[in-house]
Amino acid sequence: MFSKFTHTASKSLKIIIVGCGKVGHTLTEQLSKEGNNITVIEKNPTVVGDVDAQFDIITIHGNGASYSTLQEAGVEDCDLFIAVTGSDELNLLCCTIAKQFSKCAAIARVRTPDYSKEVGYLRDKLGLAMIINPELESAREMARILYLPTALQVSTFAHGQAEMIKFKIPEGNTLDNMTIANLGKHITHNILICGVERAGEVFIPSGAFTLKADDVVYFASKREEARKFLKNIGMFTKQVRNAMIVGGGLSAYYLANELLHTGIDVHILESSFERCNELSMLLPQAVVINSDATSQEGLLGAGIKDMEAFVPLTGIDEENILLTLFAKKVSKAKVITKVNRIHFTDVISDLDLGSVVYPKLITSEAIIAYARALRASRSSEIETLYHIFDSRAEAIEFKIKESSPVVGKELKDLPLKKDLLIAFINRKGKIIIPSGSDMIEVGDSVMIVTTHTGLNEIRDILKK
Amino acid sequence: MNAMMVFYILGHVLRIEGVFMLLPALTGLIYQESNGLYFLYMALFLFFIGFLLSFKRPENTTIYLKEGCVITALSWIAMSYFGALPFYFTGEIPSLLDAIFETVSGFTTTGASILPDPEALCHATQFWRCFTHWIGGMGVLVFLLAIIPMSGGSNINIMRAESPGPSVGKLVPKMRQTAGLLYLIYFFLTALEVLFLVIGKMPLFDSICTSFATAGTGGFGVYRDSMASQTAYLQWVVTIFMILFGVNFNFYFFLLYRHFKKAFTMSEIRAYLAIIVASVTIITVNTINIFGNVLTGVRHSAFQVASIMTTTGFASHDFDMWPEPSKVILVILMFIGACAGSTGGGIKVSRFIILHKSIRKEMKSYLHPKSVSKLTMDGSPIEHDVVRSVNVYFISFMILFTASVFFVSFDNKGLITSFSAVAATINNIGPGLHLVGPTQNYAGFSDFAKIVLSFDMLAGRLELFPLLMLFNPKLYFSKPIFSRKAN
Repeated sequence: MFSKFTHTASKSLKIIIVGCGKVGHTLTEQLSKEGNNITVIEKNPTVVGDVDAQFDIITIHGNGASYSTLQEAGVEDCDLFIAVTGSDELNLLCCTIAKQFSKCAAIARVRTPDYSKEVGYLRDKLGLAMIINPELESAREMARILYLPTALQVSTFAHGQAEMIKFKIPEGNTLDNMTIANLGKHITHNILICGVERAGEVFIPSGAFTLKADDVVYFASKREEARKFLKNIGMFTKQVRNAMIVGGGLSAYYLANELLHTGIDVHILESSFERCNELSMLLPQAVVINSDATSQEGLLGAGIKDMEAFVPLTGIDEENILLTLFAKKVSKAKVITKVNRIHFTDVISDLDLGSVVYPKLITSEAIIAYARALRASRSSEIETLYHIFDSRAEAIEFKIKESSPVVGKELKDLPLKKDLLIAFINRKGKIIIPSGSDMIEVGDSVMIVTTHTGLNEIRDILKK
Repeated sequence: MNAMMVFYILGHVLRIEGVFMLLPALTGLIYQESNGLYFLYMALFLFFIGFLLSFKRPENTTIYLKEGCVITALSWIAMSYFGALPFYFTGEIPSLLDAIFETVSGFTTTGASILPDPEALCHATQFWRCFTHWIGGMGVLVFLLAIIPMSGGSNINIMRAESPGPSVGKLVPKMRQTAGLLYLIYFFLTALEVLFLVIGKMPLFDSICTSFATAGTGGFGVYRDSMASQTAYLQWVVTIFMILFGVNFNFYFFLLYRHFKKAFTMSEIRAYLAIIVASVTIITVNTINIFGNVLTGVRHSAFQVASIMTTTGFASHDFDMWPEPSKVILVILMFIGACAGSTGGGIKVSRFIILHKSIRKEMKSYLHPKSVSKLTMDGSPIEHDVVRSVNVYFISFMILFTASVFFVSFDNKGLITSFSAVAATINNIGPGLHLVGPTQNYAGFSDFAKIVLSFDMLAGRLELFPLLMLFNPKLYFSKPIFSRKAN
């Protein structure tokens, strides 16, 4: 008599999320929107009440590491277990306990550098599906932007061989008033414009689409082609030589580490003397300055005017935004703003801050990609997923594992959905920017850009 | 307020009522009664209005608690009104107000009737009268949530407003599945009762109607003397099913998912059963002189205790003739009511558990004024908000009760009648004592008293606040009507 329920259950996942802070909240919102059965375990009763009234989920007030709470949440038959509380140890403990009682895939958020070196070991020994470090991931994303300062955002696909780059077309650029078809003819056909944002609206462009100045454009290409293309259209592409980081927290450490490895000079401003001492031990090559970065004198004294990049990484969003605005005023530095709060993305994108990085979104993107892959059939699976244009569009990389209706047909014969684009095909490490006569083959990975959300597998790109 | 969404859902509710009304129309067809046609016309009319109201899905589908309350209150009022019209059109209840009273009594699962003889009704009307109990028992909005896909999680606010109990939660993460599961359990138990009744040689039509009335814990009987002239077997079947429908449905959910330990340690279920056993024992002893036989005594007292406590309101014997202590016990049971999350009414056992625990805590605080202790139920803490809302609910309930007794007293029917009539309607039971006793009916009240009692029935079923919210002017005017002069 319950066939109806078990049927829907097989289509959607049973997911337990421990901790409903910002990441937990984003995950809950996105995953429940995609039709999964979600149980949230949270310690704070007020948060429990709020989340319960907001989403179609079950909430449990309690400690996610206690077995009785987990049992109440039904851990035995859960498919995916995600621990994103504020504490690394608690997250690992939750996952470990959950793994004792079920065959679920477990994901833990672990941020401390002490553990981050041992991520692989921890993951294997504890049998976790994924350990995610938002600070490290966002530091990597920021570093990628600093290597290519023209870009507002750089996301990598195909294990770093392909990139998707976001940039804004400046006034008077050659791209102004050029159709996409002409761009292919006159400049290069090795890149593909995947999405354009104009006046708050997102377009997945066709060949007849005309680019305009002030458009924010995403394009996909091979790494080296991207740089060639930007040089061709007259946009500066050299990586920065020095960078100033304000605040000496975890992400500052990860970013500085990343930058120092590629030979970029790093100055770190930190107000706590204790922390400065620690940082100077951890990062002997960096210049660690003990100064209050919220004072103009402090920043000017530390030489902000000579910097090519400026990254405020304090824990307070408002402070980061103010520092960015100040830096834009007094210097020509490339600025990146880290914003923790995710509820005001539209206000922030109106501020014209340039590159903005949301560590919480980076975390949830990775987890959502994993969850969708779990839901998909065995014929294809999701390798990477990025939300672009403030989550209004998605770029998804699918690994094609088996034959399906999508495979072996020329692309121009596939009945693709509207507002959907095949950005590139990665065939044994070779990146193909596809034309109508290309075909998808088994073993490829394919990147799709679309404004449809909730694609689980490759056959979802076809019209129903 | 999101008025568009209120009307949109109201439209859906009326359409569903239209669908439900096709069943009595079908009954009319089977028994070749021309009255069935009225139900068909009414159904078509409801489809039409419902279609107009829910023609376009509003862009903003967010429902906050206030919208949930307004949707619930308006839906129930509209349903009662339109549900009453067939009674009126067929002429079987000549006064419109009486028809509305009867329908409100049906939907709120009260079972208070103005009809002296239900056996005189035709089959279609009879069916609809009992079917309103079944619809009202689990709630039409819960049904709506089960069949209509709605995005977002905010529709829990509809369920909160309609479902009884101090804190309403979901059984499974998805609202739609929760609602579906509740109706599935509900349907299954009802079908089971029909089966048992048919085995006891009750005619199929009567079995179905009786099961509807039991399932919703309503109490409209198909027979003139309710259940008094039925066999002992049938009375026992109805007794057991009344008790089953008065149980918190979470219990069945736990059984279904094999959490047996959790199911049988629910303190509400334990308290509920304990109260039933204690009451039956006392009444059996107290009425031993009337029945002269322990078995018959147990049967009648169990039937009556189950009937009153679950707020069904069937009668197997004229309990108005019982000795005073037994009658007082029944009146107390009226107020206690069934479990939260069941189809029954009353103040609910779980509220009394919480009240009892707060009293104990208060006593303790007299011993150790600075002591800190958290109330718990089934091992998990009861949030202060819940305790507060239970206290406020109890007080508001008593105020409304007292006020209603005062209004009804203008009919000069005597304190016992006025008191028990209000108690039996606000707690959704049906029969009271004396002039509204099990062998009597509500036809003798004035129009004014009938309106007051109808209001009480709705307020009792929707647990006061959704209905009382309608009288809060701030709900409609987000800005003050008369703005004060600046400075």
